Amino acid sequence: MFKLSPAGEEFVKKELTRYETKRSAIIPCLFKVQEENKGWVSPEAVTYLSGLMDLPEAWVNEVLNFYTMFNKEPVGKLHVQVCCNISCCMNGARELTKHLKDTFNVKEGEVSADGNVTITRVECLGSCGTAPMMQVNDNYYENLTHESAVKTIKELM
Amino acid sequence: MPKCTINGKEVEVKEGATIIEAFKTMSEDIAHYCWHPGLSIAGVCRLCMVDVEGARGPQIACNTVVKDGMVITNQSEQIKDIVRWGMDFHLINHPLDCPICDQAGECGLQEQYMKFGQYDPEMNQQKVKKRKVVDLGERVVLDSERCILCSRCVRFTDEVSKTNELGIFNRGDRSEVGTFKDKPLNNKYSINTVDICPVGALTSKDFRFRQRVWYLKNDDTVCNGCSTGCNVKAYFNEEGLFRVKPVYNEEVNGHWMCDDGRDIYKYVNKEHRLLKAKNNSGSQWSELTAGKAMQELHNSLFAEIKAAPEKTGVVLTGQYTNEEYQAVFATLKELGVTQAFHWNDTDSDDFDGLLIRGDKNPNTKGLQNAASAFGALKSVADAEAAIASGSLETVMVLAPENIAVYSNYDKTFAALSKAKNFVWFGANKTECFETTNSSNTWMIPIKSFVEKSGTFTNHAGLDQTFNYVTTVVAGALTMSEAMTLFKGETLEFDLRAKPMTSMKNNHFTLNRGEL
Repeated sequence: MFKLSPAGEEFVKKELTRYETKRSAIIPCLFKVQEENKGWVSPEAVTYLSGLMDLPEAWVNEVLNFYTMFNKEPVGKLHVQVCCNISCCMNGARELTKHLKDTFNVKEGEVSADGNVTITRVECLGSCGTAPMMQVNDNYYENLTHESAVKTIKELM
Repeated sequence: MPKCTINGKEVEVKEGATIIEAFKTMSEDIAHYCWHPGLSIAGVCRLCMVDVEGARGPQIACNTVVKDGMVITNQSEQIKDIVRWGMDFHLINHPLDCPICDQAGECGLQEQYMKFGQYDPEMNQQKVKKRKVVDLGERVVLDSERCILCSRCVRFTDEVSKTNELGIFNRGDRSEVGTFKDKPLNNKYSINTVDICPVGALTSKDFRFRQRVWYLKNDDTVCNGCSTGCNVKAYFNEEGLFRVKPVYNEEVNGHWMCDDGRDIYKYVNKEHRLLKAKNNSGSQWSELTAGKAMQELHNSLFAEIKAAPEKTGVVLTGQYTNEEYQAVFATLKELGVTQAFHWNDTDSDDFDGLLIRGDKNPNTKGLQNAASAFGALKSVADAEAAIASGSLETVMVLAPENIAVYSNYDKTFAALSKAKNFVWFGANKTECFETTNSSNTWMIPIKSFVEKSGTFTNHAGLDQTFNYVTTVVAGALTMSEAMTLFKGETLEFDLRAKPMTSMKNNHFTLNRGEL
């Protein structure tokens, strides 16, 4: 059963008083849950959070399902998000994604066998000048080549 | 009070009224799905577009407040075109399964398409597949492919039932209405979401696939499920009743009714009903018509009771009309009977804050009013004690119609049937009837609330008169008729068919005699 750390619960309590309505605090609280729940938000976590925030589960679930930044399925230790919008694609982001998938032997959106890597394609991450680029967990890695991307991920493992 | 012009006609509306409300007061046609007078404004379907003179462009009528001097129309070619295309977009992912859809015949999408639609669709994309036949608890089934995401049901659970089960999940063309982890929608008002669903996305488990709606007639009556007295429409055909739906009444129930009230029709149908009068004056049951039975009762009991009225008592339940109580009390007065008992298994003041009340009798107030002129009502326990001690020999019982809420039904029946002469007036039959303890038992079939006209007085003292809807058991009597026969008088029947009040009159049926 998932439970936030005391610091996490403190964070949720603070967020609840920050906006005009409690409903507005759902996004930051979901990010906190995702951070503490190994990178994804499980249905149990939704139930837990709705209890903590005293909001209906349906409301929390609506927000969770609407945004792609929340992971509804488990992810690996490293969540690799490769930008596949125009600039990155023109600079070989699709090929890069395929190379990474082949190298780490994982299907898109799934967790690799060792539990280390999940690779997903995402829309623009706002770093068009340094294409192609990827985001691993919370950090950007830019001006990538096939080799530098694999090297970066292997170093982070 | 602002005045505005709608499609060339001037109308005065309440302060703060929206354009769509003005259209409704004028009975002007306007396309809409998401707007519902009992819910908040969502403005998501974009179909109620109107032209307002001087405005930048087309406005949605549901979320635009009428200002003095507004000139509004939805008859311009531009608006008609917007509505046609708006509707076509609603239909992109809507399956064309009307022949197997339970909503067909009362579907907002069908009706509005006939009025406002683009008859030559130009969409040729693959439809998005979504989940079918999602079980949402005891009463509701969801088909999310048919859903047009008007969000009425979501707003209902948020604002009216305040249970917040429903939400719209995912986004874009993958948006789906549903509950978190498909949890059941088991609130006490869930079938209202089926009523307000403009398409066949939410359907009632109880009603689906049982009848095509165009084979059903409907007429207004008053729910007998509790002392609130919600105004309802009963849907029926020659086989009996199939469902009830709420009818708007600001004073009583607003737009809604509870789920328990939806079940009341079941006790009206033949399988639960006492079809003929029954008599057991020894060890054998014999069946006879209700009228004949009342005449025999007159011959055998009337004089006996009149000679010794103190040995007779009447047990009443709050499930009959004011008119019937008057007839009963008048007869008792004539006989000199002074003992009347009140049987109520659900005597409570509970109220859930919306509609459901603890007193599950539609007319407890009416019974009390009628009895006030007669004298105090004793409790049914007093009657049982009096029978046990032998001071009561003849008992007449006005049995409840809604037997599901009478938890001590069987026990009370057994105790009361210990009387020497036992007359049971009731609409329903149950198994306990076979085990009567009396040496002279009479069962008289009584009409249910949809088979008679009358008045119920609800918890607040509001008199609600309702009309005859349909006949299910032709051999049953009303209490007034039974009392007339009991006194030895004859009934006068009005054999002409009565036109139904709330349905459109059929010219040919009504004037058949003159053709």
